[in-house]
Amino acid sequence: MSTFNPPKYARKLLEWLITKELFDDVDGDLTEIYHDNIEKVNLKYARRKYLVTVLLSIRNVHLRRKLNYYNPLVMYKNYFKIAVRNLLKHKGYSFINIFGLAVGMASCLLILLFVNNELSFDGFHEKKASIYRLDEVQTFGAVSAQKVALTMFPMGPAMHEDFPEVVNFSRYWPFSNRPLVEFDDKQHYIETLARVDTSFLNMFDFPLIDGVKGEVFNDPNNIILSQTTAKRIFGDRNPLGEVLESADSDNQYKVVGIFEDVPDYSHLQFDALMSIQLWDTERRQQWGSNYLNTYVQLANGVDVAALESKFDDFLVRHTNERILEFYELFLQPLTDVHLGSMDITHDYNNHKKFARSSVNVFLMLAFFVLLIASINFMNLSTARAATRSREVGVRKSIGAFKSQITRQFIMESVLLSLMALIIGFGMCLASIDALSQIIDRPLDLGIYLEPSNLATILLVTLAIGFLSGIYPALVMSRFNPVLALKGNGVSGGKSIFRNVLVVFQYAIAITIIIGTSVATRQLNHMQTLDLGFDKDLVVVLDMFGDTNDKYDLLKGELEKQSYVMGVTSTSQRLGNNLHQTGMEYRADTALIRGSSSFVSVEHNFFEFYDMEIIDGRALSDEFADDMRGRSFIVNETLAKELGAGGHDVVGMPFHFGGADTLGRIVGVAKDFNYNKLNLRVEPLFMSRQPWGWSEVNVRLQANQTESGLDQIEAVWTNLFPNRPFQFSFLDAHIDQMYKSEQQLTKVISILSVLAIVIASLGLFGLASFIVRQRLKEMGIRKVLGASVSQIVMILSRKFTFLVILAFLIAAPVTYFIMQGWLDGYTYKIDIGILVFVIVGFGSWVIALLTVSAQSLRVAKTNPVETLRIE
Amino acid sequence: MYKVYKCYEYCFLSIMKGMHLGEFEELVMLAVASLGDNAYAVTIQIELEEKVNRKANVSAIHTALYRMEDKGLLESYRGGAVAKRGGKNKRIFKLTNYGLNMLRESKNTRETFWNLLPQLSANT
Repeated sequence: MSTFNPPKYARKLLEWLITKELFDDVDGDLTEIYHDNIEKVNLKYARRKYLVTVLLSIRNVHLRRKLNYYNPLVMYKNYFKIAVRNLLKHKGYSFINIFGLAVGMASCLLILLFVNNELSFDGFHEKKASIYRLDEVQTFGAVSAQKVALTMFPMGPAMHEDFPEVVNFSRYWPFSNRPLVEFDDKQHYIETLARVDTSFLNMFDFPLIDGVKGEVFNDPNNIILSQTTAKRIFGDRNPLGEVLESADSDNQYKVVGIFEDVPDYSHLQFDALMSIQLWDTERRQQWGSNYLNTYVQLANGVDVAALESKFDDFLVRHTNERILEFYELFLQPLTDVHLGSMDITHDYNNHKKFARSSVNVFLMLAFFVLLIASINFMNLSTARAATRSREVGVRKSIGAFKSQITRQFIMESVLLSLMALIIGFGMCLASIDALSQIIDRPLDLGIYLEPSNLATILLVTLAIGFLSGIYPALVMSRFNPVLALKGNGVSGGKSIFRNVLVVFQYAIAITIIIGTSVATRQLNHMQTLDLGFDKDLVVVLDMFGDTNDKYDLLKGELEKQSYVMGVTSTSQRLGNNLHQTGMEYRADTALIRGSSSFVSVEHNFFEFYDMEIIDGRALSDEFADDMRGRSFIVNETLAKELGAGGHDVVGMPFHFGGADTLGRIVGVAKDFNYNKLNLRVEPLFMSRQPWGWSEVNVRLQANQTESGLDQIEAVWTNLFPNRPFQFSFLDAHIDQMYKSEQQLTKVISILSVLAIVIASLGLFGLASFIVRQRLKEMGIRKVLGASVSQIVMILSRKFTFLVILAFLIAAPVTYFIMQGWLDGYTYKIDIGILVFVIVGFGSWVIALLTVSAQSLRVAKTNPVETLRIE
Repeated sequence: MYKVYKCYEYCFLSIMKGMHLGEFEELVMLAVASLGDNAYAVTIQIELEEKVNRKANVSAIHTALYRMEDKGLLESYRGGAVAKRGGKNKRIFKLTNYGLNMLRESKNTRETFWNLLPQLSANT
């Protein structure tokens, strides 16, 4: 018979649908029909019919259903009330508990905001998944293989023609000098004017406000401006159709479009765009020089690796066999350009380039700070819950189930974590502006209000509340009501679990602090390191076509000024990656080709910058060859390469690649750091070329910078009345290079302070609870004759032990992590033992202070107070 | 509490206005009346199908029966348990006097009209 019973699950459902009172009747009816149907038709039909009837019984859900008079809301109301009372009763602990978590949450939210900002770079381009940047790996004789974000002029169009996979391409080539334009008799610099292909706006989503997307680059003299630039030049007038006269050249630019300002989270930053067409005839076949960026858009589903493997043939086809000795091409996904370009040099158009590894460090920090805060929260909740054993006893004896007690404590901790979230949000709001400034990124808390993000945050908060509540909840609900009511159901003082948490928490905090201080020291070290040239008091003036025409006059005039100590000129600013040029040199009889960084300098450059010549001589205007660009100075690194076979470097025949000028090396300069200090000094050669200067460097007399600047301005304005006078300081420029590092250190320092504050808050709270539990014991000890210091000792001993344990765990781990990090730097500091001693001792002192503040209070109380409670 | 109050209010109002039987309810009552001592959901369902060719799911019949019991039109008691009911008792329904009156009234209402229209059946 039993096999013919109605399906169990359906019957279960029916039981659930039909109220208890009617269930027997209804169940009986349905079963009877079921059996009738088996007899009359078959089992299958009967089962189906039964199921249908059960489902139709949904209509009877309310039939005779009595109202459920057990209203859990009432109980929850009570839990809530008790929770609030408890919060208010122990204001200090509540504050520590909620505040600690709130700080953790706030810093986590802010870091995530920053990380999100980094990850969202270039995310606004719809075709981002199919756009790649073409990069090169250059291997030249003197320079070890290096990745560069440079390409040759004809590469883009040739790829488009050769490969059907490349559906579109665009080059990006900003003017190296700011073009000066004239409108309405007023002159304006355009900060970045980039030459691009007509397809640029189709590949990238930089929306036009005015103008027709497909037509703006129809005429090679057309220009489109950013909203801000247009506003700056034209004010409120409609710029469309206006003509900008170039003040540098005979060019005219016709404004045909306005685009929205480029957002900060784009790696390409420009204020104006024009077509690259004008340069096409001259350079279309110019293979060999690398100076612009090429972006290609691939067809859907193209195998990138397969395409890259065809690039060697491509290069050979367009140039010659030998090119493969020097060049290799590869594609870098657009989404990788911002975070994945740290190993790529000559990366000039990569706004706020950042290391993915640093993003990961931040993510880890966010996680750990939140973890510390959560552990804290959990520890304090557990400790505090232990003082509420009487409440649990009462609840249990009135008839509370175990599950109800569990639920109560979990609810309470969820409630606290929600409060912490709200306070944390408040903290974010309060600090976001300052943070945005420090890290120089426009952060917007608004994204947390998007439903999906908000839901995630709430979920995580609930999870924190739940997870940190579950341990105390389980402990509390296990209490034996009789013992609990007596007041000693508590075993709070001896929780191994809690001690492990404290150790863990402190270990993380110590790791973060040591890590931060080592990183800070390394970064400071790099900034104060001797660069090999004297960068102080140097004013840099940009040079242009027209100013170069009067260069001799300018130089002569400047040298006459009383506060000017010296004047020199270069083709590139120090403190940058210097551009590379091909070179050829003759060792024995073989002519060897290679490539190296090159800068054209005035003959007094070495003297001006106080650079040391270790072999041969510096350039001088006494030698005609020096002034005609035939004498070269190489730096130590290049000299090592050139002299590899035991050749004499000084006097070696040397000239530019492809040029047949006779030149030779006249001197070797000691290496100086023209680049960022985390990079090696790369090979460099210098000579004085008659190509015009891109900047004049003027050294001012110390303490007279103001008057010196006035004098320079007077000279400049006198010679070039149409050129607005602009200048910068070289040391400021070099500091600028380390700005991102400085920002990072600042943020990380703040975080590490927060980490230790949160950890100490936790310890403080915990200590005070434990001390309170041992009140009586201490009272008795005192009665028996223990001194204040002895009592403090007893209470502090355990925490000292915990902190030392944490330190012993954290120190070696940190040492290895930081050693690995430092290996990435050329000029690195020794980690040394000192930082470990200081941090270890410091955290112990902090822990001791936190604990002894509590224990001292106990030690000083009159034992009568503590002992009479019984 | 509110719900309970609402329910009483509803019953009270409907009695005041004079209660009317729904068509399905009327059929179920007639079936109950005709089945005598064996009127429970299953038999009523069969009766409806056999006598007036009305197919109804047993859950609909449950709804009608218990509603009408709440209204006082029907009363019920436990009948015997049978093995094929899984050992559960039958709930046998019976008309109350009030229910009987209601049924009669309903019939009279209809008949009043039918008497006024003797020619209707002839014409069709």
